[in-house]
Amino acid sequence: MSLHCENIVKTYGGKDVLHDVTLDLRPGKIYGLIGRNGAGKTTLLSILSAQNPATCGSVTLDGDRVWENRKSLSRICFSRELNATAESGLAAMKAREYLRIAGTYYESWDRALEERLVKLFNLNLKKKLGKMNKGMLSMITIVVALCSGAPYTFLDEPVAGLDVVAREQFYKLLLEEYSDSGRTFVVSTHIIEEAADVLEKVIILHEGKILIETDTQAFVDSAVHVSGKIEEVDAAVAGLEVHHTETVGRSKGVTVFLKPGQKVDGNHDVSVQPVSLQRAFVALCGEEAAR
Amino acid sequence: MNERLTEQKSIYLQISEMIETDILREILLEEEQVPSTNELAKLYTINPATAAKGVGLLVDEGILYKRRGIGMFVSRGAREKILAKRKAAFAENHVAPLLAEARSLGISRDELLTMIGERNI
Amino acid sequence: MKRNLKFWTRYTWECTGVVLAVAAVLAVIAVFGAEGLDLRALATVVPYFLCIGAVFCIMVGNSGTQTLYVPLLLSMGETRRNVLLGFHYFRVLIIAVMLALCAVIWLLVPGEASAVGLRSIPTILCVLVIASAMGSIMGTIFVKWKWAGMILIIPLCGLGGGMVGVAGSLVGGNFLTARTFEIVSHLTALPWWLPAAAPAALALDVGFQWMLLRRQEVKL
Repeated sequence: MSLHCENIVKTYGGKDVLHDVTLDLRPGKIYGLIGRNGAGKTTLLSILSAQNPATCGSVTLDGDRVWENRKSLSRICFSRELNATAESGLAAMKAREYLRIAGTYYESWDRALEERLVKLFNLNLKKKLGKMNKGMLSMITIVVALCSGAPYTFLDEPVAGLDVVAREQFYKLLLEEYSDSGRTFVVSTHIIEEAADVLEKVIILHEGKILIETDTQAFVDSAVHVSGKIEEVDAAVAGLEVHHTETVGRSKGVTVFLKPGQKVDGNHDVSVQPVSLQRAFVALCGEEAAR
Repeated sequence: MNERLTEQKSIYLQISEMIETDILREILLEEEQVPSTNELAKLYTINPATAAKGVGLLVDEGILYKRRGIGMFVSRGAREKILAKRKAAFAENHVAPLLAEARSLGISRDELLTMIGERNI
Repeated sequence: MKRNLKFWTRYTWECTGVVLAVAAVLAVIAVFGAEGLDLRALATVVPYFLCIGAVFCIMVGNSGTQTLYVPLLLSMGETRRNVLLGFHYFRVLIIAVMLALCAVIWLLVPGEASAVGLRSIPTILCVLVIASAMGSIMGTIFVKWKWAGMILIIPLCGLGGGMVGVAGSLVGGNFLTARTFEIVSHLTALPWWLPAAAPAALALDVGFQWMLLRRQEVKL
């Protein structure tokens, strides 16, 4: 029982966007898909939902192929980020029409929830998508994702255009729908900090490869920040996986990823502090930028 | 239940500590039902699995118990248990760092005792 | 599939509305051009206006379908096969609805002109099928490869405009004369190649669309 993809490769114009991605999404979990811009998050979600063809590799849902399989596809909803720019045909479409089509195509569409969310978000459905601001478009994609009722639902940057109050509202709604239905959600985001506690699992995609796929809490707990005098820090973290080294004068700070059973050597005079998901992510994926 | 979560500690530990604190302060009484994991999840905007882990910790310690089909309840004697546990941890969690800081500031044992003596408990 | 048909059926009714509006505009122009208002003559000409409206709608509507509905429906979990089938279902349905409307009008207004109209239906059917297939291929090329589409569209528009101009000059700006009926009476003849060309055009279109649809990437 899972949505599974194996050895996915996606090439655009000779450039690999995804290299050999293998992933298993289990039912009843909230996954966070995090990665820098251009890491391949949208491409991966598009391929998992068969909206884009993969160059190589296969996607299956409970063992059945997803590509061109209506039965599998009807259990997956990928609510894409809407870019209703002038050249997109969507610009002239009214929000009501967009939701109507979504309601036609998703088999378990929840009309009562749709009405509730439209009221809650204060959406004017008579407005054309092209006239809506980023926040309203994000809300439309959230309405589609939550109301679709699909057992596997993907949201691409759902909070990107939302203010902090609406973001909090979104996460509460997501948790509510999740506890009521036990659906699987994959939320891609680069606003990591506030999402961290909501995501049970975290998938870190970096330059088209999956770096980490684990329990969010376990990942955060495995990372610590060690700081102190250079020699003391070096001795304390010897043999450990060290990332993101920063040195100021005689002082040094590093982020360490501990494997099960490993510990920072406590016999040295160093401070060991927990790090947040965001700091851990930056330590892992931001190294080129820091250099 | 209305404390805020911080980044400094695992969320599930904070959840279990918050419930403990509420029991100590008699916000939650013995034999009373505690919020469900879904309610905790929504209240703190955290994943229900994390909330369940925090609650599970207290069940393991016998502070909460499960009534099948109804929910989680505070065990009889939970408050005593928490008090004993917190007292046992007091020296480690509070006295040790106090002494370490005193040492690095050069505060003598007598000075420290005087400081403590000047304050009411 | 039920949901897919529901969507495309609704889309057909929306397009029928557009076709009726186009036909109404043409009818108004015809009435203003005429010397006297002959309702009977008008009624027998209106079906041709409907057909012009249908060609217009299918050809213009196609680029909208390509840019908007195909990716939109794919993004909502429809299969490529069903999107293609749905789109063709729409075209068959709108052509059938138009021809049925024409037939009903001609049957309700008996006379020589109506008899000519009824006998022209097979030819009109073939012309509509070919026009819709060509429109669909053009529209797709226009959407996928903008420059190639431009090159194709310019002579096509010229051709269309030219034909309207020639037809207009033949009837002297008046669509409600005997001359009009003489022209449309040519439609009763069904050259042998027309019934062969219609399915060929349709097959070409389906094959071409399917080839592209299989590799289509969803962008909204």
